[in-house]
Amino acid sequence: MAVVSTATAAATHTHQHVSVNRPNPVQVGTIVWLASELMFFAALFAMYFTVRQVMPAEEWAAQSDKLNISFSLLNTIVLVLSSFTCQAGVFAAERFQAARTGSIAQFWRWGMNEWMTMTFVMGAFFIGGQVFEYAELVHEGLSISSSPYGSVFYLTTGFHGLHVVGGLIAFLFLLGRSFAARKFGHHEATTGIVVSYYWHFVDVVWIALFAVIYLLR
Amino acid sequence: MKVETRLFLWGAPFFVLASVVYGWMTWQQDGVFEPVGTLGIMLVAALVAMVGAYLGMTARRIDARPEDNPDADISEGAGDQGVYAPWSWWPLAIAGAAAIGFLGLAVGWWVLYIGAALGVIALVGWVFEFSRGQHSH
Repeated sequence: MAVVSTATAAATHTHQHVSVNRPNPVQVGTIVWLASELMFFAALFAMYFTVRQVMPAEEWAAQSDKLNISFSLLNTIVLVLSSFTCQAGVFAAERFQAARTGSIAQFWRWGMNEWMTMTFVMGAFFIGGQVFEYAELVHEGLSISSSPYGSVFYLTTGFHGLHVVGGLIAFLFLLGRSFAARKFGHHEATTGIVVSYYWHFVDVVWIALFAVIYLLR
Repeated sequence: MKVETRLFLWGAPFFVLASVVYGWMTWQQDGVFEPVGTLGIMLVAALVAMVGAYLGMTARRIDARPEDNPDADISEGAGDQGVYAPWSWWPLAIAGAAAIGFLGLAVGWWVLYIGAALGVIALVGWVFEFSRGQHSH
């Protein structure tokens, strides 16, 4: 028996991600955990707005004017698009298709591995862009210790960036499980689905962060 | 799953309203708008909306559960509850690696590197436990 389940009378069939009569506990657990992650980011937003309120407005503006909006917008677009490639990977996982059936250029025939690799590359682009952006800002004199604005800017975007890096590691684990499996099944599909939940969540948090930090300033 | 879905989704408009009222009241009282609580309550609305949306979407994909039927018998809930590891040493290994990592914060940075290395081993072992060896499929 490949998968052993404890609380069951007849474990000969294991419906893991499309159980007909129960929500998948892995997905439920992921959603509950993401709810706590939402509160973590709520604390970061609260910190940002508090510092913004107590800091003199012109001092705040002098720091926030250093941001490169157009560069960050490009980065944001790549991250948002990566949610779509990730969802395409989920659709492939739900039809238990690990690998592509056509050539690499025929993206409409891609399996989960190709879509998730694409998502990984786009997420890595975002992180690379963020590192580049940080380097530019430090060069212009905005560091985590240079001003209260620097502190809240790097803490909010930095913690988000760490979450994206965590997502990239999760994609590597997902691809590892997919390649390790001779038969792509519910175990791998469930992994793909919950990693996508996390990725969409981190993406939506970034949209909120981008709107607050770069657009509202 | 109607009850669970509504329990969370109906919370969303309530918390949006609570957030607006809270923000307005702090502004009335102090002349400055208090952002921490206002935003915190607003994001609680986002939290319950997220959980409610998940439950609602899941309810559409699965059949009614015994819990949804007031006249169901306990025995109808028998069968697969999900897939769980019957036993595993890996969570203990991850916890040990994390403990060593935190010890590094107290003792010295060099301990953290040992914890990180063990953490990578433990995490890989945990993630791939049901993909290799006797469980490979």
